[in-house]
Amino acid sequence: MQNPSDRLRILVTRVDWVLMSIIGALGGIGIFNLYSAAGATDGFTVHTMQAAWFVVGLGIMAVLAMVDYRVIERWAYIIFGSAVFLLVLVMLFGTELNGSKRWLNLGFFLMQPSELLKIAVIIVTARYFHDSDHDGPLGLIDLIKPTAIVLSGVAFVIIQPDLGTSLIVLGIYAFMVFFEGMRWQSMLIIALLTLISLPFGYFFGMKEYQQDRVIAFLQINDDHLGDSWQVRQSVIAFGSGRVWGKGSRDGTQIQQGFVPEHETDFASANWGEEHGFMGMLLMLGLFMALLLRALWISSNARDRFGAQVGVGVAALFFTHIVVNLGMVTGMLPVVGITLPLISYGGSSMLTMMLALGLLLNVHMRRLPLVSR
Amino acid sequence: MAKTQQTRSAAGRGEKEGAGKRYLWLVGLFFVAFLVITARFWYLQIMRGDEYWRASSNNIIRDMDLRAPRGNIIDRNGKVMAENRPSFDVFVLPHIFNKYDTKQTLALLQRYLHLSDQEVKNIEKRVQAKVAQVPVRRDVTRRAVAALEADKLRLPGVEVRVIPHRVYPYNQVGAHALGYMAEVSSKDLLRLSPYGYTRGDYIGRMGLERSFEEVLRGSPGIDRRVVDVRGIPQGEAETQFLIGDYRKIAPVPGRDVVTTLDAELMETIDQAVRDYPSGAVVALDPRDGSILALYSKPGINPNSWTGRLSSMEKRRVDNNPFTPMLDKSVNAYFPGSVYKIVGAAAALEEGIEEVDGEITCHGGYMLGGRRFRCWKRGGHGPLDVAGAMQHSCDVYFYSIADRLGSDVLAEYAYKFGFGEQTGISLNNESAGRVPTKEWHRTNSPHGYQHGFSLNTVLGQGNTMSTPLQVALAYGAIANGGDLYYPRIVSEIRNSEGETLFEYPPKVRRTLGLKDSTLAAIKDGLYKVVNENGGTAYALKSDDLEISGKSGTAQVHAIGTVRVANRDKAFQLRDHAWFVAYAPSKDPEIVVAVFLQHAGGGSTEAAPVAINVIKSYLENQKRAAQPLPAQPDLPPTDGDSD
Repeated sequence: MQNPSDRLRILVTRVDWVLMSIIGALGGIGIFNLYSAAGATDGFTVHTMQAAWFVVGLGIMAVLAMVDYRVIERWAYIIFGSAVFLLVLVMLFGTELNGSKRWLNLGFFLMQPSELLKIAVIIVTARYFHDSDHDGPLGLIDLIKPTAIVLSGVAFVIIQPDLGTSLIVLGIYAFMVFFEGMRWQSMLIIALLTLISLPFGYFFGMKEYQQDRVIAFLQINDDHLGDSWQVRQSVIAFGSGRVWGKGSRDGTQIQQGFVPEHETDFASANWGEEHGFMGMLLMLGLFMALLLRALWISSNARDRFGAQVGVGVAALFFTHIVVNLGMVTGMLPVVGITLPLISYGGSSMLTMMLALGLLLNVHMRRLPLVSR
Repeated sequence: MAKTQQTRSAAGRGEKEGAGKRYLWLVGLFFVAFLVITARFWYLQIMRGDEYWRASSNNIIRDMDLRAPRGNIIDRNGKVMAENRPSFDVFVLPHIFNKYDTKQTLALLQRYLHLSDQEVKNIEKRVQAKVAQVPVRRDVTRRAVAALEADKLRLPGVEVRVIPHRVYPYNQVGAHALGYMAEVSSKDLLRLSPYGYTRGDYIGRMGLERSFEEVLRGSPGIDRRVVDVRGIPQGEAETQFLIGDYRKIAPVPGRDVVTTLDAELMETIDQAVRDYPSGAVVALDPRDGSILALYSKPGINPNSWTGRLSSMEKRRVDNNPFTPMLDKSVNAYFPGSVYKIVGAAAALEEGIEEVDGEITCHGGYMLGGRRFRCWKRGGHGPLDVAGAMQHSCDVYFYSIADRLGSDVLAEYAYKFGFGEQTGISLNNESAGRVPTKEWHRTNSPHGYQHGFSLNTVLGQGNTMSTPLQVALAYGAIANGGDLYYPRIVSEIRNSEGETLFEYPPKVRRTLGLKDSTLAAIKDGLYKVVNENGGTAYALKSDDLEISGKSGTAQVHAIGTVRVANRDKAFQLRDHAWFVAYAPSKDPEIVVAVFLQHAGGGSTEAAPVAINVIKSYLENQKRAAQPLPAQPDLPPTDGDSD
């Protein structure tokens, strides 16, 4: 074995600079975009805040990348348990905003434990499948235990209520299950069950405002001011960007405040308005590169846990990107889902950086640490 | 361990192949999803881009507040005392206005609206301050509106809006009770903006308009409009494209306030006091504390105060020596002899009447070497309580006060509700003052002296009561002992006329006097009007028994030489009071008349009170008569149902 400084040197040489470049590019776009959108919010400079969060995120990512992910694997259940514990704390002492109890007030920062659950579910699911000794594709019986574990966490998110986040977490889990391999009959049955349960979920699982959003989405011309109004304005913002966009800080829709939440969930509307189709292609291209890189890292992982983590992180980004862009372009109902690295927000930024830290970690340890 | 890792990581050949296939599936899924998103962007930005571009940059979407019509204020018989009428108001919107030739626009505006140079200057100032919308003129004539509309293209940023305008059909009658409306000030906005008030909004000032502001005010709606850079609304198709059907949120109208007031009675009062410059009249139903009239004079005409108040009008009110803005019905004055019910009740309850039987008036009362005079120099001779009330003898009450002292008198005054607010919560109601020994110790220059009680028992000295307190106290005597809370609002209705909330009558306390005490006081009040020698005997009428009490409150200490009121300077003249209820046996109305510096109670105030009572009871009788049978009307063929 080598001494610790050697190990560190080896690790640093194995940092995935391709991934780092993609992260840097997307983070930069995010900050630049907020700088431009800040014209619509006088005084408060969200872009500097975002830059600060980005730097903090990079630090956390670096720290996480240094810890051997097999330590994380060993602690998987404890990590998951802690995330669930935080969710219980939210239920008991959480801060309520806009009718949802999602935050723990840490004084300097409103922490959103449901964000941590996304990471915890990736870790715990990877660990579970790493340990499981099934023969061939998974059947329904094989899924009972891991699903129960994941649901024990998601349940608290649904209670909050945070429909978007619970769907993301379930989505990540579904991707990881798919990646583990499933019998096609089982997939069919799950698909059917999901379809059947949708109406029940709508009528019994959703709060009124959530139902309103679905309705607003299904019939965009109904008079639910707010939800559909927002989407319509964001669609106009996107569309008016045309091929090359109106130029930075010249997006009239955003600058005149027609798009609500243009800093958080609807940040991409600003990008689309000011940089047009080309700008969106650039952003989508970077995201696609990120996803492919994650799958590539996964396929080169040294073990099943690492491979699963890679897929989980890819799934986390993929679901966020698709749901967010789908929602701001009027293809999906509005649920509060951020666009990774672009939307303003500390919780979202830190979550994505944690996930990327895991990814980096898996990449750096794809080979045993031996000096050349 | 190593072995497990081996099998798990690379897995067997078969599983590795499976994993590879699934990676391909995932990559495929990612691509398809991104392709769909890209296609969506293609559709929005390339295919429909020009459309959306026009929508976003050539047009401005503006939210206009739709003012909610304010609730009406209605009297007990359904007569409207405050309502809304549509008014055409002209505004300037600086964000459009400033982009064009402001001088030319202003010149045009000045011509069409006949604005003074000063007004134009004010508008210029506010436009430069970028106030969201600058009101130019309220309630413009239809002809002016037509002219403005016709020349719209040369008037960018000028807008005519229909805004509900407050009207008070009874003008100055009841101005204090109703209040008026005024534009919110910047100071108000600091406090009120969380409740949705914006610049240019109106808010209730004074009276019911103020205390029921939250009820009367509805919530504004939104009219989301697409306008071009000149502020001209766009066509239907354009609007539909941009904002779909999210154009309007209807305003929620304010709720109606149904009062217990009687508008007709208030007008009668206004007529009855027309010769007096200053005073207040309170009329109420002694059976439940409902206020029939709350009248103060002089008042303002809320119609000219609502909206743009001319500085001349304001100066006229500010310089008026009779304080028009002060609601005298809830402001405290020396009550004078109408306050003698307190002494009478104390005498009877404390047993002084039983011990002495009668007190004799020789025209004065000696205390500590000082002679307290009766208003009647020759004296009234022997009197009981009723007689003392009838003649309003001062010596009788000096004698009582001497024996009981300030604190016992104060105790009875509190029973009648003096010295504390009645709870009408209107116009900064005064609590009045009931002087106690303690009060004198802290407030009189030489501390408490026994002689003070002799002044206070007459409603002089430092005793202060409001006309409303006096009316309520007499109401309690009239109804047999229940002191009510004043009730000026009976219910709140929504704009459909459904009752949302009711204010039932509420007893504040019972006087707790012996029946014999009440009977003796009532007897005295009866004799004042109905028996020879009573201070208001001159006003006795054959068809209606009225009970009452006069009061002449000296504003200035009686000097050694008596000066007739008409020879005194106005500010030094006595206040005239008269409180009456009728019919004496089963009272339906109490009226307290207070005429500031008008002179004698029985000569000045009593005729007013009796006039008001008679007119009210006659109206009641007329209303109670069954209407002549109506012929059956032919059925209407409209769709009214």
